[in-house]
Formats: sequence, structure tokens, C-alpha cells
Amino acid sequence: MSHITLVLWFALGVGLVFGVVGQRTGFCLTGGLRDWLLDQDGRRVRAFALASAVALVGTQTLEALGYVSLGRSLYLQPSFSWLLLPLGGLLFGYGMVAANGCGARSLVLLASGNLRAFVVLICLAIGAYMVLSGLLAPLRLWLAALSSVAPPVAPLSLSGWLGQYVGAVPGRWIAVSLVALPLLAFSLGNARFRHSPRDWLGGVLIGGLVPVGWFITGYLGADDFDPVRLVSLTFVAPIGDSVQYVMLSTGTALDFGVTVVAGVLAGSLVAALLSRSFHLQGFDSPQRMLRSMAGGLLMGVGGGLALGCSVGQGLTGMSTLGLGSFLAIGGILLGAVLGLRGPLRLPRL
Amino acid sequence: MRLTKPVFRGDRRSFLRSGAGVLGVGGLLLSAPSLLLARQPWERLDVVRELLDGSEPSTTGIDLDLPLVSEDGSSVSLSVSVDSPMSDDDYVESIHVFGAGNPNPEIAAFRLTPAAGKAVVATRVRLNESQTVIAVARTSRGEMKVATRDVRVTVSGCLSRNGDSSAMGLDNPRVRVPPNPQAGNPAEILTLINHPMETGLREGEDGELIPKRIVERFQVELDGDPVFEAELYQAVSANPYLRFHVKPRAGELRFSWTEDTGETVEVTETLDPA
Repeated sequence: MSHITLVLWFALGVGLVFGVVGQRTGFCLTGGLRDWLLDQDGRRVRAFALASAVALVGTQTLEALGYVSLGRSLYLQPSFSWLLLPLGGLLFGYGMVAANGCGARSLVLLASGNLRAFVVLICLAIGAYMVLSGLLAPLRLWLAALSSVAPPVAPLSLSGWLGQYVGAVPGRWIAVSLVALPLLAFSLGNARFRHSPRDWLGGVLIGGLVPVGWFITGYLGADDFDPVRLVSLTFVAPIGDSVQYVMLSTGTALDFGVTVVAGVLAGSLVAALLSRSFHLQGFDSPQRMLRSMAGGLLMGVGGGLALGCSVGQGLTGMSTLGLGSFLAIGGILLGAVLGLRGPLRLPRL
Repeated sequence: MRLTKPVFRGDRRSFLRSGAGVLGVGGLLLSAPSLLLARQPWERLDVVRELLDGSEPSTTGIDLDLPLVSEDGSSVSLSVSVDSPMSDDDYVESIHVFGAGNPNPEIAAFRLTPAAGKAVVATRVRLNESQTVIAVARTSRGEMKVATRDVRVTVSGCLSRNGDSSAMGLDNPRVRVPPNPQAGNPAEILTLINHPMETGLREGEDGELIPKRIVERFQVELDGDPVFEAELYQAVSANPYLRFHVKPRAGELRFSWTEDTGETVEVTETLDPA
């Protein structure tokens, strides 16, 4: 079996686990923030925080042990745009409230029979491709060139920055502690969360998939002659790639992201059928449909600008400690909060 | 500024094309039959017409494989395979690859021998814009075969600029030869060398053109007999990668890469069929 086939089989496995866990636990940043801010139920948002901490510790351990070199990843490039990352995050965050779930959540919902999520996903795919390589790509490149900064830190991460003062190894673990401890305190410090195995187990499993993804592409996919691109879980470009793949598969090659998307759909479909929670649902009004379309488009455009979604930046980008990822996550959280509270809030569904 | 440049160039091209169109209409009236025939993409490229030298190529028995859409024009996987027995009296002599939309249409030329066993070659190439890529194969019997493929090249937001690890010269040549190839079954060989493949068209940070510096020749010999040879042009991606075949027989494989500066690097590997 070639290293590429091996990567794809493991990617399918990652997708299946994500799908099953996502379907059974309702893992979702949007829903988590809504429960927390509007219903005073912080369990799901704590599950996301725990997943982020698990992803971070796992990924940094993996790199410290020498299995992967995250410097080759998208999140640790030598420059980033101070404008597009937070702006894209903001659009994504607002969009995910409008669409009632991020890209990954929409995949799980679609496979559970929610046809509204289908509209969200198609619009997300179109929005992402518009901004990555289509109509809006020239605007993105222009803005990126205007706002690109290259701070003299290598790699461009919190650990790299601290490492300049205290040395690389202490820098890494101080940075990990600075980020992971507050996340762990926020999640595990809450008794209600600790007593909800559905949520903490979901957080641990999904967070754990991020280092697994890095291991698959960075270690199993390593090859002197034909290395696989170093990526892990993310759902904006891969949803666009998946739509493209079903249309152009004779002339394009399967990659990690597309296979994960297929796995998530299959895994959550199986989980929905076995748990008898598969129900076909559609729109009850054209206004609701418009809102889903706008939300999907905002997520696609925003995720394309911010180089990732709630999972892609919130878990995977965060796991690299990339300085740009902090900007993107800040934007996503702010956008989501604006959609839930304040003058710009969207009516509750 | 960087953004507006290609747009402007596109405008100028389409302007030229429409200008040529006006002239073409006039020409059409004079020489309608020959213009109507000149429709195949390879007939529009001078270098390809020269190579074909008036012969009518066949389009069967040759396969050119590239992705339909590529979001990274600086490294597009390309492979050509030609149906051929690769016997002493009937083998593929050469395969030329062209990109009609590149500043210099020549991408690479491969010379094969019966010792290769299989006419399948792969590399990674640079494509300047969406275009038609053309492969022309010539057999030892003088037959010509042509394959074309349209590739759409887009920009991408998800590319990591893989830090320029490229040392200036020839560095770290790597070769993968199967440990115990089956006799009678052509063995697949992979090679890679670190090299920037500077096109001579790119500006450095100081705004000056970086001088052209490429690996222009790659040769493989088995105990002194030529097996495979590649002539590379600027359109081959940095860190040139080549995949080809060799008919296993016990002996020593000698690989050599030659830069346009004349510098050469050699690697030898023992071929030890099971």
C-alpha cells in the first residue's frame, strides 16, 4: 500500500470517529455558545474548550517527540494578514450563528436528515471557493498583500515567541501551559460538565483527533519523493474540495480533507440510523432558507479569509500555537457573540 | 501592484488575439482550407510543428495525465505513458512535453531506450496560467503520437509556502530503487534533487532579475548503457522529481544531474533483481 493510500484510509477513520462522536454528543461551538450565553448551560462550550486543550497538548507532545514538524503547516507560515484573519473569523462566527452550526456540525446534521444543512454546506462550499480561487480571490490577495506582516519570530507561534527569551523547549511548555491551563480550568472546573460524560468524552475524543490528523499526514504521509501536505482537521476548504471532487474526480486526486468529510458524513449517518435519530427536516419558511444561505456563504467566505473554521482554527490552528490562529479564533468568537447578543443579534431559531 | 500585473497582461493578450482575429478573417478568405485544418492545439505551437515535421500524429496509445484543476501552478504533477513493447526494434525514442501558455513552451524532453522496459515517465512542472499541455512521443519506427490535456490553474488560499529550503546549487540527490525487483518486470525508479530551478524570469527582493540557473540534463546508465535521459527546461518545478522505469538486470545504475553551469552530481546504486 502506498503512503498516500495509507493516509486516505486513516483519514476515513478520523472522519468516521468525528461523525459518530459529533452525532452522539452534539459537539458544536455555535450551539455551545448559545446554550451558555442564552440558556446558562455551559456544557457544550466547555466540551469545545476541553477539545482545544486536548488537541493542543497532544499536538505539541507529538512535535516534541519528533513525529511531525508543524513549521510546514499553513498556520505557522512566516507571515500572516493582521486584517484578514480576524475579519474572516468575524464573518465566519456570525455566519455560523446565522446557519445554526459550523461546517463540521452541518455535515453531521445533514447526515442526520437535516436538509437545511445541505443548503448551508453548498453555500459554504461556493463561498469558500469564491474567496480561495474564484471571484473574490483577487480581492483577498490584494487585501492580504496590503495587510501582511512578518514579525521576526520563527516559527510564528506563541511558543516560538516565548522561545526567543527562554529557549525553545521551555518556551513550548510555558506556552502550552498558558493556553491549556485556562481552557482546562474553564472546562473541568465546572461540576455540571464533569458529571456529563457525553460532553467531556466528546471533547476528549474530538480534541484527540487533531494530533491523530497531524500524525497521519506528517508521519504516515511523509515521503522523500512525494510528501502529503501537512494538514489536520479543518472543514472550510475541504467541504469546497469535496463538492469539486464529486464533479471532477476523474481529473483530481483524493486528499486527506475530502476523505475526512466523506468519513464524517458516513459516520454520523450510521450513528443517526443506529440510534434512530435520523429524521428528514426541511425549511418551514423562505426566510429561514435565506438565513441558512447567507450563513453558509458567510462561513465559506469568512473561513476562506481566516484560513479555517471553528475546528480548523479553534482546534487545529490553536494546536500549533500559531499567532495568526489566535487572531482568527478571536474573530470567530466575537462574530458568534455578536450574532447571539447585542444590537446585531439574530432572532433565535 | 503585483495583483494588477497579470490582469493587465491578460488584457494585452486578448487585445492581441482580437487584433490577430481581424487579420485572420482577411487571411481566411485567401487560405481558408489550410486555416480550417489548423485546429488541433499542437498545430498552433511552432516548436511542436517543427518536431512533427509534417507527419500526421496518432492520438491513440498515449496518455498524458495532469490534474484538471491545480491550485498550485508552481508544482503540477505530470505523467506520460505510451503503449509500447519497448523491444529492440520497437520502442519509444523520445517524449517531449510542451505548455502552450508558458513563457517558454518547452517543459521537458525525455529520451528512452529499450532498457527502460516501460514508457512511463512522471515529473512535476510549472504552469504559468490555465493552458493546454501537449506531449509528443516518437517511436523508433518513426511513428508520432500526441496527447493533450487542458489544465486550469487557479490561485489558492490554502498553500503553505514551503520555506525556501532550496540551496543554490545541486544538493542532496535522492534515488529510490526497489530492493529486489522481479526480473522481467520493469522496476520503477524515483529520483529527486534539491535545486531552485531559477527561471531567470523572477525578481528577487531587491527588484533585480535572479539569473537563470537550472538542472538541464539528467542521465541514467546501467553498466555504461544509456537507459533514460531527460532534458529539463525552466518549467520543471524546483527540486526536480523524475519517475521512470528500468528493465531489471544485475548491474550498477549511475544517475547524473548536470546544471547549466556545467556542474555535475552523480549517484550510483546497485540493481539486484530477485
